[in-house]
Amino acid sequence: MIYLLRRFAFYVAAFFVALTFNFFIPRLMPGDPSARIIASFQGRLNEAQIDAIRQSYGLTGSLWEQYLTYMGSVFRLDFGISTVQFPEPTASLLFYGATWTLVLVGLAVFFAFIIGSMMGIHAAWNRGGFFDSFFTPINVMMNAFTPAIVALLLFYAFSLQLQWFPLGRAHSTEIMPGFTFLFIGNVLYHATLPVLSIFLVSFGGWHLGMRNVMINLLNEDFVILARAKGLSDRRVRYRYVARNAILPQITALALSIGFLLGGALVTEQVFNYPGLGKFTFTAIGSRDYSFIQGQLLLLTASVLVANMLSDIANVILDPRLRT
Amino acid sequence: MSELTHTPSIALTSRGDKATDTMRAPTQQELMRELGVKPKPGWTSRLPPSVAAFVTNGKGMAGVVILLALVLTAVFAPLLSSYDPGRRAGKPHVQPSYEHVLGTTRMGKDVFTQLVHGARVSLAVGFGAGIFAAMIGLAIGISSGYFGGKVDDILTFFVNVVLVLPGLPLIIVIATMVEQASPMVIGLVLALTGWGWAARTIRTQTLALRTREFVLSAELMGEKKWRIILVEIFPNMLSFVMGGLVLGTIAAILAEAALEFIGLGDPNAVTWGTMLFWAQRNMALQSGAWWEVFPPCLAIMLTGAALVLVNFAVDEITNPQLKASRNIGRIRKFLSRRGRSADVF
Repeated sequence: MIYLLRRFAFYVAAFFVALTFNFFIPRLMPGDPSARIIASFQGRLNEAQIDAIRQSYGLTGSLWEQYLTYMGSVFRLDFGISTVQFPEPTASLLFYGATWTLVLVGLAVFFAFIIGSMMGIHAAWNRGGFFDSFFTPINVMMNAFTPAIVALLLFYAFSLQLQWFPLGRAHSTEIMPGFTFLFIGNVLYHATLPVLSIFLVSFGGWHLGMRNVMINLLNEDFVILARAKGLSDRRVRYRYVARNAILPQITALALSIGFLLGGALVTEQVFNYPGLGKFTFTAIGSRDYSFIQGQLLLLTASVLVANMLSDIANVILDPRLRT
Repeated sequence: MSELTHTPSIALTSRGDKATDTMRAPTQQELMRELGVKPKPGWTSRLPPSVAAFVTNGKGMAGVVILLALVLTAVFAPLLSSYDPGRRAGKPHVQPSYEHVLGTTRMGKDVFTQLVHGARVSLAVGFGAGIFAAMIGLAIGISSGYFGGKVDDILTFFVNVVLVLPGLPLIIVIATMVEQASPMVIGLVLALTGWGWAARTIRTQTLALRTREFVLSAELMGEKKWRIILVEIFPNMLSFVMGGLVLGTIAAILAEAALEFIGLGDPNAVTWGTMLFWAQRNMALQSGAWWEVFPPCLAIMLTGAALVLVNFAVDEITNPQLKASRNIGRIRKFLSRRGRSADVF
């Protein structure tokens, strides 16, 4: 319990650091967001109007007051008003996009982690064999192909040339959203290629991580003892070695969520998928600062939540932490 | 290794196995060949051990050769093509031909010229950011591991914060704020956000080294702290720094390409990322101009693959059990061919 509480305290502190970053970055840069809007009116604004714009960006008062206003608005989930889709609040856009991004990243991480770890277990158990010396390098190399490229290649091959998969969107417009087989099937059909491209660039990492930790564990005394007791290979492999090797993997999984979400931003751009990345892209184009800052906060928060979940999973899997 | 060469051949082969009884016992040379043991030490044995470990690693050397080829291409880019990468060189979307080896872009720029010139910026930013990140990681990792106490607590907190802050979204925020991010700015931001892993592994390693005899005796002899760090601890960190450097470079090259691809870079710079950006913006794939998209893709993939190969070698040097695992395959095959159980490993 103390362990979990300490971790929780760290996440709260880390979130405040992220908030502070987010607060100071625009204020340290030359020309704040409001200056751009004010400049676009080419001097046709009077003092009061300029003040109103600056106030809507929380740029009035002393730095400390601005900081408090900012903190307050974040905890009310008030990220300001989107300039791209004008009267819409940024928060609702953020959560709409985040839902689709979570679908993509969730599916991809699920498959990549399970398949990658299983391959790693297999490679470590038969280390030096054909599977290990052939697939380990290949899988890890795929890890170094950026999501942008894999997405582009898949898009070219399967969407443009073979036309097996759609050119964009999360679901067809003619199907009513709802919990029907038709709709869910349609969503999965549209998500196949984006999920595949995130999957392809991430499963190699789990393969290598699992393999390397497993190989180190296989020479430990407890494994030799387990085998000497005559336990079945299966039991030694999964209950003894893999259960220990999965612990650092789960920690790494939580840390990689940020990287994967970043990768999803690019993938969505290629597949024209209406997730956070697509909206971020339009926000970059029109310099919609409230959205861009909001996505950083939302992604940071989700990484922190993922880390918290991994700590809880570690406590469940590892009795040594339960003191 | 010496254990293997002196393994008596009789013990392994003639244990009442009928098939082997009728055959003559293999000579030691044949056994050594089967187990992949070199008869004579090669020229590599004269190198310092850390270098030799790297040079004899096939995967690592393959990666180094690919990287060298890429770097040479980048350095001699102006000699390889007579076009200007930023200027129109022909009609738009010309197919690959003798005149334009990889065709032209929508703007009529020569793709091959852009590719080799783009390698300069992309590789420089990647390696620059990788080296810088490894340096920060080294400095922070060693000091938090060696000094311990309060220093360690504070530094570890920052390492953990850097690890949990999502890199790419953070860079997106910074890059939008500085209007158009030049490759230099992108590299700097990548280095400042990408040193977490290196710092963490180096700290762990320093903690392990700090209590070793050679460090303790240096402390007893009254060596200065900076000298202990630089002369006693740092040389043992080289492979970890290399690992951090390689991983940092991979991350930087990929992140730079991704950032420029989504339009956050300077669109006038010629890099692999901006090539992809223009290709995507001009709908190159949709209009069938695959030659505008594939070359930068392949270049980035090749660089990534080469760095991964180097990282394999570094991994095997830092973690000897991984290296041993390569020989286990040969020994297993050797045993199973003789009908012996290979289950002992």
